[in-house]
Amino acid sequence: MFEHLLAGFWAAVSPGNLAALFSGTLVGIIVGILPGLGPMVGMVVLLPFSFAFPPDIALSLLLGVFCGGYFGGAIPAVLLRTPGVPSSIVTSFDGYPLTQKGEAQTALSAALLGSFGGGVISVMILIFLAPALAHVAASFGPPEYFTVAVFGVVLVVMAFRAQLGRGIMLLGLGFWFSTVGIDGTTLSQRFCFGTLSMQNGLDIVPICLGLFGIGQTLILVEQEIMKNHDIQLSRSTLDFSRLIKVLKYWKTLIRSGVIGTFVGLLPGTGSILASFLSYDVAKRLSKEKDLFGKGTPEGCLASEAGNNAVPAGALIPLLTLGIPGDALSAVLLGVFTINGIYPGPLLLVKEPVLISTLYFSMLLINVAAFVMLIVWLRPFAMIVKVPGRLLAVVIMVISMVGIYAVNTRLFDAGVAIAMGVLGYALLRMGWPIVNLIMGVVLGEIMENRLRETLSLGDGSLAILLHRPICIFLIVLTCLIILVPFILDARKAKNRA
Amino acid sequence: MSKKDFSSSRVHDLFGSVLGVFALSMLISSPWQVDTSGPDPFYKGPLIFPIIVSCLILAGSLPSMWRLLRPSLHASWYLDGYGKPFKNMIILGLLILYLAGIVAIGLEISTWLFLVIALKFVKQDSMIKITLIPILVTLILFLIFKIFLDVWFPEPLIMGFFSE
Repeated sequence: MFEHLLAGFWAAVSPGNLAALFSGTLVGIIVGILPGLGPMVGMVVLLPFSFAFPPDIALSLLLGVFCGGYFGGAIPAVLLRTPGVPSSIVTSFDGYPLTQKGEAQTALSAALLGSFGGGVISVMILIFLAPALAHVAASFGPPEYFTVAVFGVVLVVMAFRAQLGRGIMLLGLGFWFSTVGIDGTTLSQRFCFGTLSMQNGLDIVPICLGLFGIGQTLILVEQEIMKNHDIQLSRSTLDFSRLIKVLKYWKTLIRSGVIGTFVGLLPGTGSILASFLSYDVAKRLSKEKDLFGKGTPEGCLASEAGNNAVPAGALIPLLTLGIPGDALSAVLLGVFTINGIYPGPLLLVKEPVLISTLYFSMLLINVAAFVMLIVWLRPFAMIVKVPGRLLAVVIMVISMVGIYAVNTRLFDAGVAIAMGVLGYALLRMGWPIVNLIMGVVLGEIMENRLRETLSLGDGSLAILLHRPICIFLIVLTCLIILVPFILDARKAKNRA
Repeated sequence: MSKKDFSSSRVHDLFGSVLGVFALSMLISSPWQVDTSGPDPFYKGPLIFPIIVSCLILAGSLPSMWRLLRPSLHASWYLDGYGKPFKNMIILGLLILYLAGIVAIGLEISTWLFLVIALKFVKQDSMIKITLIPILVTLILFLIFKIFLDVWFPEPLIMGFFSE
């Protein structure tokens, strides 16, 4: 155990890994600061480049973007009341009023300390919780995996229950995309429409890059998201005296980090819920309740600790069960599988050094992002002045060439353009696009587990009712579906 | 327009219905689109999952289809006030031409041309932007993909024309 940790530490501080995690963090902060882009766009644009590296370096690069994006998102939220990432909207509730009072440094200190603390706490929870969960999952067979996957999918759909029909359609469409090509088990052709290119199937990379990279940049071309470029910062670095001042909220920091990690652990919930929940709990338990919403550093700290704890939280189901918690970790799953590594309970046994490297890399990413933003606060804040349309055009070109470079197939670039059109339509209509990605990623897992379960049960799913874990998960799934509807009905009845 | 009106625009219903029709056509045609000649029984075979998935999409689209056919009194086609995406259609057209351009005239010229035209089109056409950015991005792409990653790109068709 100790020697694996040590080997992981040395791998994490190797020059190649450090270069990858610093570059990833830098890109993450930049795309996080730019409203309308966010870490997803950064990750999918860097995805084709990551294939040139070994898996540990590739993962450090993408995790840097993942975590760095949440750090960066707080800057425009505090300075301009325009969140760089959606979850930072909560940070702006108190951050912007503080900026208006001339306390931008205090707000940014709280936000950055919150991001750093939330990130570190969640990595610690990941280190202790992942082996325990993997130990439980080691006794899972295909029926248990199938019910876990169904549970995850239901959570994702129910997270957007206001758009239930749309969520189901997109999940189904994602599943359908995963069936295109040669079936891995029977080697039968499916939905190839007589073309050779379709036999390789629809790769996850062009789908993600199209939906998020091209789709989001098309929105950026059309809509002027940033309108206010007036930045109020008294100095170019972060003021240390303010940073020490906000340390008095350490209890809020720990609590919010824990909340964020457990919200991130649940598939489909995402960083917005983590931010809101952390903020709400901090408000209820604070001695300065009245200051919330009018400008208190505690509010900024709570929301940022909550949303920055999500990446490590989302890694827990990914590493132990092979089920991604959100669209960002779905992309990471793609990196694992392309490198021939299949996340699941055995991953922690089979690849202990890689997992240790991942833990140390995540800790280093949090340190790197924190230090970068302390030292280069004003230069980073100035990034919001870069015109969105110019960025959009440049990102499109990089995405197109990057997608071609993965398999040197122009067909993939064509798929990315088609997905870009779909992504643009879905983003503009506000449909839950995360369901589509989850469908694409989980499709193959679900199908294989379903067929294995049916084989074990001689064509019947009744086998699920003979296994205690499956029964527990089925009951939990039913509760997740029914309870919100019962509560809604009760609320409506009370109102009437 | 209120938030409720935005989310209940008929555009959503139209899109949902299109997905539903797509799923229905896949469901009907799946016995022909999926090769089921193997020896496996249905529950182990390649057809079971596509059928479940098509039914799932179809079930999700039924409310949209119903609303599209029987719109409420207040239903409208208003979406978000950003109008029709003509600008994006042109950018997408340019992007398709860019891909064709990589085959026809090569990565470097195609990238430079796409950036100049697209930047001009999105009104990012100050002298510095339109001169420097296309050259800089083309150079970076050339260095990263052709030199550093050693990615193979098709020989431009135009080169063959000149060599003949």
